[in-house]
Amino acid sequence: MSNDIIEIEVDGKSIQAKKGQMIIEATDTTSSYVPRFCYHSKLSIAANCRMCLVEVEKESKPLPACATPVSEGMKIFTRSPYAIAAQKATMEFLLINHPLDCPICDQGGECELQDIAMGYGRGISRYNDNKRVVKDKNIGPLVSTDMTRCIHCTRCVRFGEEITGAQDLGTVMRGEDMRIDTYVEKSIDHELSSNIIDLCPVGALNNKPYRYSARSWEMIQHETIAAHDCVGSNLYAHVLRGKVKRIVPRENEAINETWISDRDRFSYEGIYSDDRLMSPMIKKDDKWQEISWKDALIEVVEKLKAVDQKSSAFLASPNSTLEEFYLLTKLSNDLSINNVDHRLRVVDFTDQDNDPKIPLLGMNIADIEKCKQIVVIGSDIRKEAPIIGHRIRKAALAGTQIGVINENINEYFFDISAYLSGSIIKNLLGLLNVLGGESPKEMQDISKQIKPTEEHKEMAAILNSEGKGHLILGHLAINHSYASVIRTLSAKIAHLTGSELGFVTEGSNAAGAHLMGMLPHRGFAGASQEIVGKNVQEMTENSLDLLLLFNAEPGNDLPSFSFEKAGHSLVIAMTPYATEKYKMTADIMLPIGTFAETSGTYINCENRSQSFSVIANPVGESRPGWKVLRAIGSMLGMSDFEFESSEGVLDEISQKLNDMPASNIKPNYSTQDLTNSKNFLDSNLVQRTPMYEVDSVLRHATSLQLTPEACRSLAKYEY
Amino acid sequence: MDESWTLVNINRLIMKKIKNYIKTFLLWELWQGLSVTLRNFFRPSTTIQYPEEKTPQSSRFRGLHALRRYPNGEERCIACKLCEAVCPALAITIESEVADDGTRRASRYDIDLFKCIYCGFCEEACPVDAIVETRIHEYHMEAPGENIMTKDKLLAIGDKFDNLITKDKAADAKYR
Ligand code: SF4
Ligand code: SF4
Ligand code: SF4
Ligand code: FES
Repeated sequence: MSNDIIEIEVDGKSIQAKKGQMIIEATDTTSSYVPRFCYHSKLSIAANCRMCLVEVEKESKPLPACATPVSEGMKIFTRSPYAIAAQKATMEFLLINHPLDCPICDQGGECELQDIAMGYGRGISRYNDNKRVVKDKNIGPLVSTDMTRCIHCTRCVRFGEEITGAQDLGTVMRGEDMRIDTYVEKSIDHELSSNIIDLCPVGALNNKPYRYSARSWEMIQHETIAAHDCVGSNLYAHVLRGKVKRIVPRENEAINETWISDRDRFSYEGIYSDDRLMSPMIKKDDKWQEISWKDALIEVVEKLKAVDQKSSAFLASPNSTLEEFYLLTKLSNDLSINNVDHRLRVVDFTDQDNDPKIPLLGMNIADIEKCKQIVVIGSDIRKEAPIIGHRIRKAALAGTQIGVINENINEYFFDISAYLSGSIIKNLLGLLNVLGGESPKEMQDISKQIKPTEEHKEMAAILNSEGKGHLILGHLAINHSYASVIRTLSAKIAHLTGSELGFVTEGSNAAGAHLMGMLPHRGFAGASQEIVGKNVQEMTENSLDLLLLFNAEPGNDLPSFSFEKAGHSLVIAMTPYATEKYKMTADIMLPIGTFAETSGTYINCENRSQSFSVIANPVGESRPGWKVLRAIGSMLGMSDFEFESSEGVLDEISQKLNDMPASNIKPNYSTQDLTNSKNFLDSNLVQRTPMYEVDSVLRHATSLQLTPEACRSLAKYEY
Repeated sequence: MDESWTLVNINRLIMKKIKNYIKTFLLWELWQGLSVTLRNFFRPSTTIQYPEEKTPQSSRFRGLHALRRYPNGEERCIACKLCEAVCPALAITIESEVADDGTRRASRYDIDLFKCIYCGFCEEACPVDAIVETRIHEYHMEAPGENIMTKDKLLAIGDKFDNLITKDKAADAKYR
């Protein structure tokens, strides 16, 4: 037995514990439950609620289990009369000031205080005096406050200090007057801040949009996957009578631990937006008319049959499921349409043949914490993938050196070892100079003029220090007007320093889209295409015969969409929403379901595929996207379109992937031709999409649109 | 077999036959029955002339439901859904929302009288004495859908019989 393991006794049973462990961590491995409020395995120990008192042999007082380290031979009694008396007394003190408004409290039924009062409290109250009342705070549109209910466990305060670093909440005053407060009147403003809803053991901090709309015991809990970034956080959706009432995190240490971003938590509001398209519609003489699904499908099929392949295109949102991508590409292949794409906001396609088969992060999300050096290039990582941002913060706190190369300066709540702001390309050239690398010959003139600064040297030092580094390219780099230049330079730097190059892609399933061949230049599983089709830019800037938009909204999802030209194509829109922009451009609209109303699979940025099932009833006459595509396929008389379920589609995909010879496409950016890139030092080359506008569901999530974050981007489109 | 014993039995049988003969002749059993009739004829009557007359009811009678208000007119129900949770017949359906004044209110409160078994659990569960079962037991439905008691209907009953309900609750209070 190693020295780290010691023997202790819990309620008469001897168990093994690690040295330095707290009693509560040891008892949690046994069947003895110690009641607790302030202790949380992801937060530091505060030991201020005193609910976890236990009896320890030879100790004169009961000891808090969460803050007492175990020692060899310790005898712990969690349910001895002495321990029970201590727990009862604590409970009685806690209930002195806690209001008895459980019937109107949203935490009722899932409240730690309720549970522990049932298990460890007295049946009756002996307290007849006045109770404390605390004024509620308005801390924004996402979290409701009933501060009278607060039991001062300070979990929310510690969350702000330790997990987000934003320190929105704190304690003021002391004793009877102690309050949780924001110091000055302000809204909590961090992309993870709503996790305090789950952390708060009582109903003091609660879900504002969900307020009073259901009770915890009547909802059905469904597992699902987050649909707004490439992380694929695991979620539970709580559903009442077929309607999603709220979203809470599902613990998965490998991905999101116990946290989820506000975006994943509140996006469900978009499902029930007034903008939802309720039934298929067709434009006749510039007027929109409702038609039946049958007629609509017949119409679509006729249009597809009559079409000129060269001048037709399919565009799909990167949030579509793997199955939808598969059916879309199957359809396009059968119709010999090469113009398919999902990279809706990408501008620079010159090096698309050098792309990896699937753009991935290059490591597992949980391994971010183990990296020695991370350099984030062209990414507002906190907004693009909040969970990755959180992992990077955790890494930074644990000593990882973090470098950032970005146009603007963002707030990060951790120490950044080197920050290069301003033109990304200029900075990369500078860095390359310092590292002694040779810049591409087209750029050598410019490169010579760039004087390496101290920061460049610091950044180079980070990358040159021991251990494998990681370069992460984010949305701003991927959507940059000269993304290919950024990729070339980053690849050179990665090569010089022996680092790995990874991507944080847009949407929840860009990896799936690449794998299914939702690209003009590649087919299924990266197979090369004989005829390279048009890319998004070419499709949306010109007029085509037919354009099929799969949840890709002109303007918002497709910034390059030309309403004058592409708007005059025959546009078939499969969309959950009927917004003005769709009404302006489309000729037929088919209502498809949002992420809640369809089943499917997402592949996240670590190549982990996660399937989910339908969690809510369809809104109006909307149908899951894969079903609509399936119906179109079989009505077109295509073979092998008779899928019964999305699992059936997935089976076929797995089958095909198994049969494929493993294609081995390596990213090959360092040698590409950059002759076309002349103006790469211009300003305004970065295209930024506000955090709460990246997809159609988010744009309709009302509460998220009221957050300070959304207001800021509305005011200036700037962070 | 003992000879004397048999003789006694035969004697008894003969006596019984003679007695019955006389009783039949005198209509003895008829008179017996009529005497019961006669006795009850002069007893006070227990028949109730329903619906003109009604039996007395316990203050705990569990009939049609009502939703009550506070004396200031505010609805009592706070949409806590405890009644919905306890109802063994799943007869209650509630939807809740944030009311204009920020309080928790039921936007829908339906009791399906076809499902309800009048157990009174909802009344027991209610923390604010909002849902109660009244003494009303005479009601009927004429059209489909009338079996659903909506919030408005329940509140109307509560308003109409407020005095009675208050009195009944007061009478029962000391036993609770
Ligand atoms: S608001 Fe909730 S989490 Fe914060 S201190 Fe009070 S009880 Fe704890
Ligand atoms: S009386 Fe019983 S069955 Fe009827 S609604 Fe109430 S709880 Fe349900
Ligand atoms: S009637 Fe009573 S128990 Fe039922 S929801 Fe209303 S307050 Fe709650
Ligand atoms: S859980 Fe130990 S003191 Fe709060």
